[in-house]
Amino acid sequence: MKKLTAIFVAILILMTLMPMSALAGEAVKLTMGSWRSDDTTQVQALLDEYKEMTGVEITFAPTVPAQYNATLRLQLDNGTGPDLMYSRTFATSKELYDAGFLMDISDIPALAENFTPASLEAFQADDGAIYAVPYAAVSQIVYYNKAIFSENDLEVPATFEDLLKIGQTLKDKGVEPFANGIASNWDILECVFLGMLPNYVGGAANRALYETGEKKMNDEAFVKALSDFAALSKFLPEGFEAINNEDGPAMFGIGRAAMFIDGSWTVGMFDDYPDLELGVFAIPAPEGNEPGLCFHSDMGMAGNTATKHPEEVKDFLAWFASAEGAQEAANLLPGGFYPMINLPLTLSGEMAQSILALNEGKELDFRFIWKDFMDMYTIMVDNLNAIARGETTPEAAAEAFAAAQEEILAAKK
Amino acid sequence: MQPSLRHRKTSLNPGGGYWIWYLLPAILMYSIFMAYPMLDSIRLSLYAGTTGSREYIGTANYVRLFTDPVVSARFWGAFKNTWVFFAFHMLVQNVLGMLFAVILTNRTMRGRQFYQTIIFIPCTIAVMVSGYLFRLLLNPQFAGPTLRSMGLNALVHPWLGDPKSALSVVSLVSVWQWVGIPTMMFVAGLQSVSEDLLEAADIEGCNSWQTFRHIRLPLIMPVIGMIAILTFVSNFNAFDIVYAMTGPNGPPNYSTDLIGSLFYRYGVAGEHPIGIPEPGVGAAIATSVFVMLLIGVLPTLKATQGKE
Amino acid sequence: MTNHTKNVRKGKSLRFSRLHLPGHLMMIIWAFIVLLPVYLLISNALKTRVGMYDNPFGPPIPLTLNNFKAVIDQGNFFMYFGNSLIVVSVSLSMILLLGSLAGYGLAHWQGKLSRGLYFFFMIGMMLPIKIATIRLMELMKTLGLFNHLSSIILIYIAMGLPIAVFILTEFIRGLPGDLYEAAHMDGARRGKIYCSIVLPLIKPALATVGIYNLVPIWNDLWFPLIFITQEDKKTVLLAVTKLQGQYTSDWPRIFALLTLSALPVIALYLMFSKSFVTGLTAGAVKG
Repeated sequence: MKKLTAIFVAILILMTLMPMSALAGEAVKLTMGSWRSDDTTQVQALLDEYKEMTGVEITFAPTVPAQYNATLRLQLDNGTGPDLMYSRTFATSKELYDAGFLMDISDIPALAENFTPASLEAFQADDGAIYAVPYAAVSQIVYYNKAIFSENDLEVPATFEDLLKIGQTLKDKGVEPFANGIASNWDILECVFLGMLPNYVGGAANRALYETGEKKMNDEAFVKALSDFAALSKFLPEGFEAINNEDGPAMFGIGRAAMFIDGSWTVGMFDDYPDLELGVFAIPAPEGNEPGLCFHSDMGMAGNTATKHPEEVKDFLAWFASAEGAQEAANLLPGGFYPMINLPLTLSGEMAQSILALNEGKELDFRFIWKDFMDMYTIMVDNLNAIARGETTPEAAAEAFAAAQEEILAAKK
Repeated sequence: MQPSLRHRKTSLNPGGGYWIWYLLPAILMYSIFMAYPMLDSIRLSLYAGTTGSREYIGTANYVRLFTDPVVSARFWGAFKNTWVFFAFHMLVQNVLGMLFAVILTNRTMRGRQFYQTIIFIPCTIAVMVSGYLFRLLLNPQFAGPTLRSMGLNALVHPWLGDPKSALSVVSLVSVWQWVGIPTMMFVAGLQSVSEDLLEAADIEGCNSWQTFRHIRLPLIMPVIGMIAILTFVSNFNAFDIVYAMTGPNGPPNYSTDLIGSLFYRYGVAGEHPIGIPEPGVGAAIATSVFVMLLIGVLPTLKATQGKE
Repeated sequence: MTNHTKNVRKGKSLRFSRLHLPGHLMMIIWAFIVLLPVYLLISNALKTRVGMYDNPFGPPIPLTLNNFKAVIDQGNFFMYFGNSLIVVSVSLSMILLLGSLAGYGLAHWQGKLSRGLYFFFMIGMMLPIKIATIRLMELMKTLGLFNHLSSIILIYIAMGLPIAVFILTEFIRGLPGDLYEAAHMDGARRGKIYCSIVLPLIKPALATVGIYNLVPIWNDLWFPLIFITQEDKKTVLLAVTKLQGQYTSDWPRIFALLTLSALPVIALYLMFSKSFVTGLTAGAVKG
């Protein structure tokens, strides 16, 4: 028995030591982490092109989207993170920068030249340092089924009141107006409510007033937004409590609902439904309000401070921030993701372009709570769900928002 | 019954200095790759932050877990839900498992292997897929038209969106998936009941309930204890079925949030959308549950495994 | 009632009871409950996405084999499969070997230390292994095992041991003591008793442990996700993640891939479950 154990221990040691000898050569090889497993082919093509130009080999290594934050954090902690990585906006990445994992890339001159301060704000530390190249933005809009609209003699609504009228007309005829549900616990907030909000509270300047506490989240604008949300929620489909953000596009795609409020990123999904006649319009503002639109910084590209090849990583990021690199990347961006570079780029995809065109003439801002009020996320989702279920009133929800706002502002001081 | 090992000490037993060699490989393997990393991580419950910026904070994580109104509401909610989840597995899964095993150990019954394989098939399906299949089956929009055309209108209901039904549905799906495991273990246990005994009982005119009650049941008591313990510990770590069927937050209204999903959300993944985990709170959850499991497991072991 | 009539009635009812009608009825009902979702799995793997959402219950008309084809053609399917098989077979055989040795030792060795060791193994069943992720990453980094299958194999062996030790110790304890004494009298060494007497007798328990660990190892996503980023080391379930997008997943294709990936598990199960039948000859163990 002693012998057997000895043999076993020897095997164990061998098993663990063997791979050490296999440490490979020295050519510059970088990896790029991402949550966009959807875009593997396109991004790898971009990186292959980059290799042709510079000789630096970069491998695209996306992970399961839902696990990106968790696994990236673990890898960075462990010193095994990717050299380049997709970066979320605001708090998530800022925390990584503050923990020392992300490179300070403020000295790339193209950043200041090619991007607006608003775009850079999503990737900026408290001391003003920039830690990611702004990559793509998304917007939240209404998809509609043109066939269903024309069958019922409906037209694209000009005001929120018109939208509610359309909902009522369709419902009376036995057609589900919207394909949105609340089961995912995020899209009802991120796409629907925060999509509506710029129509009520205005753009960045007004948002700042809530961030300083000058305005309270139970003011007239917020109560109106919540009341309109409550009115809209009457037109959610049967069983909306169990419908999630994956069921919604499918339901809309096969023509079971006339409209779907969602992000521009979904536009590519509808290619799978050949019979769908797709149209888009912006979430309309209520009568008398200035129309706004939620155009949200969604992703950036960051470098890892622990990389073995900081020069090459920085070079890539500089290229990525240049007009040339941005155009190459824009060619490969999936539909519904828009380059944030402040230069005229050509975009492919007709539908994606018409979504971008909705921005014109509107006050644009990123998602209302993303900068300072991220901690309100769960409270907001819970209250919106409760409104949709008829368990709370818009006024009570506004009170809850204002209380949370106060608490967050107090904690800051 | 012949005396088994647990009832006797023999002079032939060479003692610990000898037996340790049988144990050593397993101990080494288990200590290096599981026990040490795990026990060492439990210490994290006394710290705040992640690796980069770790700070000793004493019992603050525990205080937060049990006194912070939001966190403690989540913890006790998940705790209660996990007991419900466990009750479903004990009362439905394990009872069904035993029933199936009794049927499947009838030596004269045909097709036993076939049935047993069918019962086992769901175990081979990855949870993310079985979860999605049932989402589809239970979705009023996709399954509704078919159910209505069959006249089953009562089944058209947002089962997973209704806080009253969601947890039961998730539990039953889990039962559906895993009933093959206790069935298999009961079959293994019941098969060791000797044919002679059963024949003797048959000749005595015992009906099948009596045979079961007086012959099989006492003999498989240790198996029952074992299954109870395994169900207990696996239910308190379960989270993937929740993740696949309703989501990491255990919606609707946290009604399907289990200890396992709570731990995952706080300790491993962090809450959406920021996704910054708090390993300290996660470790505090795991440690608290560990203590509770110990309180549950040790007496069960004593009661069913007949140890002195 | 005379003894004679009693026997006649018994004969009849015996013949009738040998048909096991309630048993078959129950099994058929359960088989239906099991097979309905399995039918959904397979029929939807044969549909397009539109077809699936349009009528998930309907038969796969028009039938498409594209999902299966795509899985086998594009996805390096057999490579992922091979990796999963290596991981499962090495892990399981090590779990069974080490677990049964330890169970044999723990069942015989009686004393405070042995009880303490038993308890030490039990701890492993009561804590979530994910808690140790950070430490395990540090360990694997030191050992240089990132992107090596042995990283996850070592963890799976350690993960499987508590349950293996728990079940096998209980089982070996239940074996009749006479067996050993007789063999010992005959002069057999204990190592030999383990191989020639204990192992054959605990086959059903080994099969139980094997199956119990087979499923979570085959279907684990977490550790491959963390330790394996290199394409040629990925396991089947990790490969599935390529079909999961940020906002939507290609479910018919995932169904196709996982239908195929369930097959070896069923095969392994059949292999293990054979030992339920052959492992115990009637009368060898009387509880």
